[in-house]
Amino acid sequence: MKISHNWLQTLFETPLPSAAELENLLTFHSSEIEEVITVGDDTVLDVKVLPDKSAWLLSHRGVAKEISVITGIPLKHDALREVSLLTPDTSKVTITLSTPQCDYYSAALVTGVQVGPSPAWLAARLTAIGQRSINNVVDATNYVMFELGQPLHAFDADKLQSKDGVYHIHVRQAHHEEKMVTLTGESYTIGEEVMVITDGGNDAPLAIAGIKGGMTALVDSSTTNIIIESAHFDRFSVRSTSKKIKLRTDASARYENGIPAGLAPVALLSVVKLITEIAGGTLVGYSASGTIIHDRTPVSVPLEKINSTLGLTLDLTDIEHILQKFGYVYEVVDTIITVTPPWERDDLVVPADVIEEIGRIYGMDKIISILPTPSLLTDYNPRHYYAEKIRQALVALGFSEIYTSSFRSQDVAHIQNALASDKSYLRSALYTNLRDAVIKNIPHRDLLGLTAVKVFEIGTVFGTTDEAFHVGLAVQTGTSYKAKVDDVLLSSAQDAIAAVLGAVVSWQGTDAGVSEFSLDALLPSLPPVTRYDEIPVTKLVPYQPFSIYPSVSRDIALWVPVTVEAHVVATVLEEHAGDLCVRVTLFDTFIKEDKTSLAFRLVFQASDRTLVEQDISTVMNNIYRITTEKGWEVR
Amino acid sequence: MSLANQSGHKHPLSQMIAEINQIFSELGFVFAEGPERELIKFNFDMLNVPKDHPSRDMQDTFYLSGNPEVVMRTHTSPVQVRYMQSHALPIKMICPGKVFRNEATDATHEAQFFQLEGLMVDTDVSLGHMKGVLEYFFSKFFGGDVKVRFRPSFFPFVEPGVEVDMMIAKNDTNKLSGRWIEVMGAGMVHPHVLSGAGIDPDIYQGFAFGMGIDRLGVLKYGIDDIRLMYNGDLRFVTQF
Repeated sequence: MKISHNWLQTLFETPLPSAAELENLLTFHSSEIEEVITVGDDTVLDVKVLPDKSAWLLSHRGVAKEISVITGIPLKHDALREVSLLTPDTSKVTITLSTPQCDYYSAALVTGVQVGPSPAWLAARLTAIGQRSINNVVDATNYVMFELGQPLHAFDADKLQSKDGVYHIHVRQAHHEEKMVTLTGESYTIGEEVMVITDGGNDAPLAIAGIKGGMTALVDSSTTNIIIESAHFDRFSVRSTSKKIKLRTDASARYENGIPAGLAPVALLSVVKLITEIAGGTLVGYSASGTIIHDRTPVSVPLEKINSTLGLTLDLTDIEHILQKFGYVYEVVDTIITVTPPWERDDLVVPADVIEEIGRIYGMDKIISILPTPSLLTDYNPRHYYAEKIRQALVALGFSEIYTSSFRSQDVAHIQNALASDKSYLRSALYTNLRDAVIKNIPHRDLLGLTAVKVFEIGTVFGTTDEAFHVGLAVQTGTSYKAKVDDVLLSSAQDAIAAVLGAVVSWQGTDAGVSEFSLDALLPSLPPVTRYDEIPVTKLVPYQPFSIYPSVSRDIALWVPVTVEAHVVATVLEEHAGDLCVRVTLFDTFIKEDKTSLAFRLVFQASDRTLVEQDISTVMNNIYRITTEKGWEVR
Repeated sequence: MSLANQSGHKHPLSQMIAEINQIFSELGFVFAEGPERELIKFNFDMLNVPKDHPSRDMQDTFYLSGNPEVVMRTHTSPVQVRYMQSHALPIKMICPGKVFRNEATDATHEAQFFQLEGLMVDTDVSLGHMKGVLEYFFSKFFGGDVKVRFRPSFFPFVEPGVEVDMMIAKNDTNKLSGRWIEVMGAGMVHPHVLSGAGIDPDIYQGFAFGMGIDRLGVLKYGIDDIRLMYNGDLRFVTQF
């Protein structure tokens, strides 16, 4: 939530630390700060309010309270600690709650308001936190929501059907296929599961409860008499409606996070005060229906548990000092601390909640690390152990390991909400993905200096209800599968796996250069694991981004005197092939009389473009010239 | 230069998982596993993620057709519950494994990625022990002296919950060194999770953590796009 520094300051008597300092304090004692931005003469902190604190922290008052506890700077006054009596009463507004999803509804009737632009300070506050200023009445309801966390709504009373001067608010579930137009003009057709605020005089819907007001009783420049709503709606009802109609608002976010009912009268008093100040008008009175339960169950936690959880050595004085900063009602009997949470805090239920409260104010950054002691392993993971053995054997044979997607376009287990139609099933085998990977890698053989693409994957496959850990292999030498060459590579890998496992492996689908087996099925028959092999420490080589452009290969065969060694020739080629040459590979050698024939493959690639014939021929001509100078004959 | 006797390449994820296991096994942490297609009971309910609660929105979930009780696990945390239910105390375990999130992919997000879960439960395990274990792990994994610090955070299955930052001791060869880097979420196992798994939270307590192994790869190898780890491109794999 966006929190304005200027706004926060109005809640304190003495000057606050700078926004940068507050960012640091909140980060280490309360909540993450997503960003700090300057807006005019104000600084705005974007506070990431997580679900456990969302019932009371989605407001300037909530953040101010945290700052007060962390810094010890007292709040000017805390509306939540004051008695909120809705007086005087009025009989001009009656309220009926005919749904259990609304347990409290209060309203104020204010007459003779003058709707107009907001005062500059109010518009500036709202603008700073990214809200649009609409008019003084609507802005006042928004302002109090962002200050206290309670959604509010103002209705134009004259647009309601009054009876003998009495307005009737009726909170009910919507009728089947009831139509509703919101104040910004969107139409919704809603049903019985949606709660609505209606005009009891004519049964017309005025608002989707807790989410958005309607067009019917919109406050505009002609409005003079208003009814202001401050209510409590069931969090799950608001949440499911919001999801269903795909409309999430600042109001619905607060309801679905479970703001307490006790906030409603506090905010109503506050907004009436603000509206009568900035829009004039007279308060006729308040009307309310339903009940507010303020009770919180005390939570007890022994001092010893606090310290043993946090790894600290706090004493009772430290704990009491922190609880006093919160202003919590608490008592200490022996070393057991019992805290009664204030009514707005729904997140202090179990002892661990109180421990967190103490820990974060003391400072999670002050926790001291306890050095772990080496200890003997009691249990080994055979799947990991044997998978590592297989990896080792395959890598030694020139196979490289890949990880592919668990999703497929077609298979047996269907994903209900897939990302894309080609990812809507779970794979029941590895070989299809492996074959795709082989085909994708074939064009890179020269670039990578490979005579064949040989890959494997070890991962989970899924049946209709079961899953298993498979090992899959795929090989291909040429641009298409050739049984004669590829089957040899495949069977040598199969033999290596059988040897390393010391078991007979039942291979599935050995066909066209792919094959796989279930390691899970084999595990029970393998010897138990009593130790892990030490992993060789590999030198850390940072990853280098590779060119996405295709590579081009050229072969050159040279007759050189037998006295000239191949690596000398390769070095000459590398030196003169230029920056575009990324690899020089010797692929054929034979000796005839006093001469050696050396065949090299040169691979060219640019990092920023696709190479053209001109690029290559320039380099090759240079090479032909150099080799001729050396007296090496191009075959 | 020659094409004979070419060795292949182990995938960096496998390499990291093996290193992770080696480091944690020195401290007696057991390598545990659980299904990738998981019951909602284990993925959410028993991890203290209430039904129809905003905290369930923190993770976008793939559901299986025709079985409303089953999801692709969104984290490795369900293995905590399964392990606690089936093993005697005290517990020290890690679980590296694949997890799934229904979200758009980009250079730093994949719909499937690898997570590392850690869990330690005994009568006196504290956040101090967690800090010590993590400093031990990161120091060995990244090399050099690594410091860890905690910031308050929230995950339904822990209380207190923390974000963990680490800092590799300053050295000129490592770009990551000398600054705090956010690496994972962690905390003390929520008493509801313990009791749900049949462990008395008045007697036992412990810590749990979860981090992205892909993210460790980004930090360790400088991988700039985690999608490269899952697309089977040998131009990537052969660098390791």
